[in-house]
Amino acid sequence: MPLYTLISKDFYNEDARDANWYKQNRQGFEGAEKAFEMSPEDIISEVKTSNLRGLGGAGFPTGIKWGFVPKDSGKPIYLAVNADESEPGTFKDKYIMTWDPHRLIEGIIITCWAIKAHVAYIYIRGEYVRPYEHLQRAIDQAYEEGILGDKVMGRDFKLDVYIHRGAGAYICGEETGLLESLEGKKGWPRLKPPFPAVVGAFGSPTVVNNVETIAHVPEIIKQGGQWFADLGCEKNGGTRLMCVSGHVNKPDVYEIQLGTPLYELIYDHAGGIVDGKKMKAVIPGGSSAKVLTAEEADCDCSIEALQAAGSMLGSGGVMVMHEDTCMVKALQVITSFYAHESCGQCTPCREGTGWLLRTLNRLLRGDGHPSDVDTMLDLSGNMQGTSICALSEAAAWPVESFILKFREEFDYIARHGRSMVAEKQSVPA
Amino acid sequence: MPTLEIDGQEVQVEEGSTIIQATEKLGIYVPRYCYHPGMSIAGSCRMCMVEVENMPKLAIACYTPVSDGMKVSTTSEKVLKGRRDMLEFLLHNHPLDCPVCDQSGECDLQNFYMEHGRYQSRFVENKFKKRKAFPIGPHVVLDQERCILCTRCTRFSDEVSKSHELGVFNRGDRSVIDLNPGKTLDNPYSGNVIDICPVGALTEREFRFQCRVWYLSTEESVCPGCSRGCNISIHYNQRRGYKAGGRRLQRLKPRFHPDINTWWMCDEGRFGYGFADQNRFEFPMLRLDGELQYAEWDEALDKAADTLKQAVDEHGAGSIGVIASPQLSNEELYLADKVFRQGLGVENVGFENPWQKDGFSDDFLIKGDKNPNTRGAREMGWDGDIKAILEKAASGEIKVLYLFLHDFAEEEAQALLDKAGTVIFHGSNQNHSSAKSDLVLASAVWAEKDGTFTNFEGRVQRFKAALQPLDESRRDVDILLDLAQRLGQQLVYNNAEDLFMEWFGMTYQDMNPQGENIENRGGSMPPPSSGSAGEQPSAN
Amino acid sequence: MSEASETFEFTSQNLERCQDYLKRYPTKQAAMLPVLHVAQEQHGFISKEVETAVAEVLEVPEVEVHKVVTFYTLFHRHPVGRHQIRLCMNLACWLRGSDCIKAHLEEKLGVASGGTTSDGKITWEAVSDCMGACEDAPMMQLDKDYYDELTPEKVDQILEKETA
Repeated sequence: MPLYTLISKDFYNEDARDANWYKQNRQGFEGAEKAFEMSPEDIISEVKTSNLRGLGGAGFPTGIKWGFVPKDSGKPIYLAVNADESEPGTFKDKYIMTWDPHRLIEGIIITCWAIKAHVAYIYIRGEYVRPYEHLQRAIDQAYEEGILGDKVMGRDFKLDVYIHRGAGAYICGEETGLLESLEGKKGWPRLKPPFPAVVGAFGSPTVVNNVETIAHVPEIIKQGGQWFADLGCEKNGGTRLMCVSGHVNKPDVYEIQLGTPLYELIYDHAGGIVDGKKMKAVIPGGSSAKVLTAEEADCDCSIEALQAAGSMLGSGGVMVMHEDTCMVKALQVITSFYAHESCGQCTPCREGTGWLLRTLNRLLRGDGHPSDVDTMLDLSGNMQGTSICALSEAAAWPVESFILKFREEFDYIARHGRSMVAEKQSVPA
Repeated sequence: MPTLEIDGQEVQVEEGSTIIQATEKLGIYVPRYCYHPGMSIAGSCRMCMVEVENMPKLAIACYTPVSDGMKVSTTSEKVLKGRRDMLEFLLHNHPLDCPVCDQSGECDLQNFYMEHGRYQSRFVENKFKKRKAFPIGPHVVLDQERCILCTRCTRFSDEVSKSHELGVFNRGDRSVIDLNPGKTLDNPYSGNVIDICPVGALTEREFRFQCRVWYLSTEESVCPGCSRGCNISIHYNQRRGYKAGGRRLQRLKPRFHPDINTWWMCDEGRFGYGFADQNRFEFPMLRLDGELQYAEWDEALDKAADTLKQAVDEHGAGSIGVIASPQLSNEELYLADKVFRQGLGVENVGFENPWQKDGFSDDFLIKGDKNPNTRGAREMGWDGDIKAILEKAASGEIKVLYLFLHDFAEEEAQALLDKAGTVIFHGSNQNHSSAKSDLVLASAVWAEKDGTFTNFEGRVQRFKAALQPLDESRRDVDILLDLAQRLGQQLVYNNAEDLFMEWFGMTYQDMNPQGENIENRGGSMPPPSSGSAGEQPSAN
Repeated sequence: MSEASETFEFTSQNLERCQDYLKRYPTKQAAMLPVLHVAQEQHGFISKEVETAVAEVLEVPEVEVHKVVTFYTLFHRHPVGRHQIRLCMNLACWLRGSDCIKAHLEEKLGVASGGTTSDGKITWEAVSDCMGACEDAPMMQLDKDYYDELTPEKVDQILEKETA
């Protein structure tokens, strides 16, 4: 299946950062013009038809989420655009904000019209300084051109868009952690329900959508929901950006049709495995997704297909590992991250992530015990289904899947005090 | 009102209740750390998880609302495993210093682990080192290693005391509870964090290493520290009398009352019990050769009665002044009324210290009137001009002054007392007034007697004796009854309870003194409806 | 290196920026992160005095500021070098040799991760959080910019050029 350029056409095209260029060459803001002729209900129904799913990780149907916003709460409604992009292995939103910011702005206008919001906050991770600057320049230009502000594109519709910079916390990508952070607090996720669409930012209904999700909206409105749905596969509309990294020859962001085989993405588009080595494992949806063996990875890129394969499409971060990778060390790298990022609020995650990391560190030091492997497996089980947000599971799934699928490496290091795989870590060339 | 089933028992609760509230209605206790009914729901300890039919995951009982037809199990295999797992997580960084931990014996980590723990530790990593035992305020010591981050204390400082000293800082397993830099936990309610800390992370400086909690006995009482009348428990130790310098009263804890103090009490009240074991009169005393000296009770009471009788006989009732106290119980005031006003016909009476100014007060619990029974004394008609009485005593018009408890420290009062004739001091502790007296009748403190106080809004509340009167000191009722007998008065009461029944029955005719309101719920009754019992309170 | 000072006051220009941020949100506290970013830009790190000033601007208890400052990793609580390097150690970068870059930086800068060079020029840290540039692994952030496909030689060149 070919690569698509629905939303990735202008990556590396500096001209596209200009609103007028976007208008003239990409029918820019025509989607918004069209949307203003439609009722909010019609837009939501069109987005429902499109089978657009949340592209941040959870894959919740976008139109349905918009439909949850209560009609007459009497409170202002907010859009919060999730640009925290901190799931390891994910880097797609950075491209949209850096190279095609007006597409995002247009998506925001349409979304806000549909959900009747007059303020949108873009929550961007603090590390993304340059993407923030590009996006802010685009927003400034949009205000100057009358695209944003008191009269959006000359209509009787007011919309303010603000960028809210994060400051280094993975948990702020979790939608309620994001809202807490937006309100000026620690990013401690909230108890649910209520869900943000009902009680979100500042006690008001809030739709939280990923950058890429929003960036797809203009084309959906321009070309129709059915067109977008047809582009993808069952229940997964359109295209999406896949981030391929690790031991591939051409790590990059690739826009694929939903339903494209994962092998095709890795071997054809991303150029296959470095040094002609064999693929050992793939994490298909950001580091929280369960690892797949090379055999299991022979499936399509869709939410349902990857779920059937025992993992998830998640944030679209495909991390490829070749045959020389020590899976114990790889898991330790992943677990370090989750232990560092656990917000500390609820018991299983706060205590479980640290415990797992210390055990992995001990294994790698050569001080393991054969029972450690089962203990870790059991702990990862106890961390699932018991926490406030999904970070606990995000930390537990890698542990569970690495051990279940590469158990011999864990048993070996626990017994022998050294890695079973000759550690031939790639030296940067 | 939704009806649900918990562990096979049906229960009907208010719409919007949570599962934990429903379990409590059934008397089922679900283990919890972060949940506290007086504060917002944190939902973070994950200890109160229960199984709800048709819910894939365990649900936290503290947050999950009930619905009609819901079926809940608090004891299923899945629930027990969940609790066991959470305890394992909570304990894996928790130090094993129970033998030297003050919380031992009343620690919810210990308690729940006994019931639900794994018993076989799998944790072989090094435990996290955090800061141990350091004072964070005048009354509280923090041990960060013992903390399980339930955030009850930080929510208390944010939501109840609104003083914002504490926070959870850092994240992940490096999270700690600590003071905001530069702050001290010195708000007027700081002691409450000790009570709500489910583990040994926050302990009381005054109580640390004084007594193991299992040596403590408790009795229900009412705080005598101000006119609010917070419901409390007295924790006392009589089994290890050689500990803690012989201090019997070890600590005071708030006791729930929905309309008075809910779960809380102030530090002033909590730590104000020192007078019960310090600076006491341990026996009656008579002034001989210019100094107060030990006397037998018979001797002291005979002397008191003779002096009073002689004054009445020679100069009439106008030669006697009686200064009652808003620290006395209703029963004592009622009896004193019988003895002095009805019995001897004394008219020179009063009870409020004219020099005493209102102390600190706020819009939460603390009242400016630092007496527990001002309203009770006023409703019984003890009002009067104390300054005038002292002036009469100084001028010689009043020959005998019977003075309850008051500490007249002011120069003006001292000068007047210097000039007074015979001063009989009836009280528990040494003070400026007792130093000027000729005769001391050593009485008991509130923790040593039964009685009632009427709080500022008119609630009559019971307190019960936790302790025997110290040494030879005696309960006020007993002293007054013996005095009455020597004065030839026929008063037939056995104890404070008899007095209570008579006084209460007369004052609140439409209420049953044995009824629910006064006996249960911390011995309170609702404030009388306006007009039914005396004037309205002079609330601060 | 920013000097630790006993007092902190927003410059009038920065105070204006803070006021501008405050207008964006329905609550004052919501301007916490933007105001802290401004403060750190001005002062180099967030001291106790900075927290006090921020609490005043936002009209929140100081503890709210301290909770936030200790939660987010991009706020420095101590003085840092003129330049800051964050080297990604997450999976994609590790798979492509970040360990080697880490060793090189350690040697080159003469200080372990988390430290500041003796001349006070550079503070560096090997971080476990993925910075979203896995396509360019191994990578690091130096001040505002990302530097990709690092090799020891490339690191030397970058340091020479950017931190001279």
